[in-house]
Amino acid sequence: MSLAAEAFVSQIAAAEPWPENATLYQPLKEAQILLSDSASSLAVQTFLRMCGLPVLVSCRANAEYMSPSGKVPFIHVGNQVVSELGPIVQFAKAKGHSLSDGLDDVQRAEMKAYMELVNNMLLTAELYIQWCDDYTATEISRPRYSSPYSWPLNHILAYQKQWEVRRKMNAIGWSGKSLEQVYEDVSQCCQALSQRLGTQPYFFNKQPTELDALVFGHLFTILTTQLSNDELAEKVKSYTNLLSFCHRIEQTYFKEHDRESQSGSSRHSKGSLP
Amino acid sequence: MAEPMELLCWGGDWDLPSVHTDSLIVLAYAKFSGAKLAVKSIDWSWRTITASVPQLHCEGSTVTEPTQILNFLRKRRFNADYELTAKQGADTMAYIALLEEKLRPALLHTFWVDAENYANLTRPWFTSHSPFPLNFFVPGRQASLALSRILLTKAESPLLNITEVEGKIYSEAKECLNLLSHRLGNFHFFFGDTPTSLDAFVFGHIAPLIKAPLPSGQLQKHLNQLDNLCQFCNTILKNYFTDASAEKRMDCSPTATHDPVDANLQKLTQLVNKESNLIEKMDDNLRSSPQHRPHRHETKPLALAGERNLTPP
Repeated sequence: MSLAAEAFVSQIAAAEPWPENATLYQPLKEAQILLSDSASSLAVQTFLRMCGLPVLVSCRANAEYMSPSGKVPFIHVGNQVVSELGPIVQFAKAKGHSLSDGLDDVQRAEMKAYMELVNNMLLTAELYIQWCDDYTATEISRPRYSSPYSWPLNHILAYQKQWEVRRKMNAIGWSGKSLEQVYEDVSQCCQALSQRLGTQPYFFNKQPTELDALVFGHLFTILTTQLSNDELAEKVKSYTNLLSFCHRIEQTYFKEHDRESQSGSSRHSKGSLP
Repeated sequence: MAEPMELLCWGGDWDLPSVHTDSLIVLAYAKFSGAKLAVKSIDWSWRTITASVPQLHCEGSTVTEPTQILNFLRKRRFNADYELTAKQGADTMAYIALLEEKLRPALLHTFWVDAENYANLTRPWFTSHSPFPLNFFVPGRQASLALSRILLTKAESPLLNITEVEGKIYSEAKECLNLLSHRLGNFHFFFGDTPTSLDAFVFGHIAPLIKAPLPSGQLQKHLNQLDNLCQFCNTILKNYFTDASAEKRMDCSPTATHDPVDANLQKLTQLVNKESNLIEKMDDNLRSSPQHRPHRHETKPLALAGERNLTPP
């Protein structure tokens, strides 16, 4: 969307309150969704729960194609469709719900910087492991990504997606990296996050912000998703304050809701956190 | 420990030791950490198309990419981040990610994709600094690499056209510059009084943008309004890079009097600047004092506000 259109949409967004039937769309949880999409989706769900905004999660096989930007997850609120965490945060802000109002300019700069760090390192590493590592791509990513479709469409779509991701990795210079280097980058990123978090409950002390939602989304998904080997999860587990951070957010925002609604939150996972 | 380390990078122009962002990052970090590098420019050599710049050669091993080179220098005990706390180290990583993600696409666009800048500044410069027949290929290849990087990382499905992505990347870049300016505040460097690797990265990204004579530079105009970033860049150039240019002048004309003359000239310029600052402050005070006709103060508020903006803080 052009900038003028975005401004116009946020004006319209500000006019109505958050409806009860807001829906979040993501690929199928059991069979189709991959690590990176699951992480992004969990981040958005966490953010909306932190704001206290109700949202129904709906799983569709073609969620990626329904999304206005081609990325999942996206939310359908009223008569607007917004995708990805950044625009969703702005959309919620236009409706009057914001988690980062209490931050001053320097803190907001830091928060944006750390969100970019997570996007730049963790998300890119997840994409690399899923699509550029041959073993994972063949055994896990391609079969899962194309599971709702029949032959020959499943092959075509899977290879198309793989080619697209590999082109992107090439453009940003990650194609020359080995898997060990990628694990090392993830470890450094976790170290930076761990040092920033320190002993505080949230990244900006008392109140959670969208940075907490994003970090939780990625770390929780990495810890609870079964890949071909556990090395990624091990890297994250070595930072105990990040583990307790994930536990805390899971307890605070997910356990009570799950107890209330009793929705079968079965993930492509080993269950809840170890 | 004193084996000479050789750095290959693009040559310099517009008061900068190098026009290439990554090369500038490495050069700045080397100055900050005290590493002695023998700088070899790849201009006018076949390396313009074969080498991936910047490249550090040391004892037979080759390291490319700024982050790898900085790690290599740190392992060799040339560490400018020694005094940072753990949290500041984490902040460094985060801000570098911010620069790469938000500022670099707009920089690539300004220099390589924007038609006016590319035709009038970038392509002639790189063509004139490459040997025949490479001068036909080098700029074009860099431009297409830059365009594909922007499109692949920033263009999502409804924005496949470069013109629609432009608005988005420039607004993100301006936001990024504002964030950096907020973070820098009134300090000389990002973490106190000594420069660190974050300062090197920021310098490498914004110095070409400040110094290059761009024909159409909306990002440059935005950056010029952020005084503290311009000051930051000029401070680094003055403190860490002018001795290099003074040494070069000494090499060409072996007269030892040039060095003290330059130093004297610098001191004189600083004194003149301070004097003019003082004079402007006095002028301000006089204008706002109650003895100076108060009704004029009310009728021309805009003019005075304009003058106040011009006086440096």
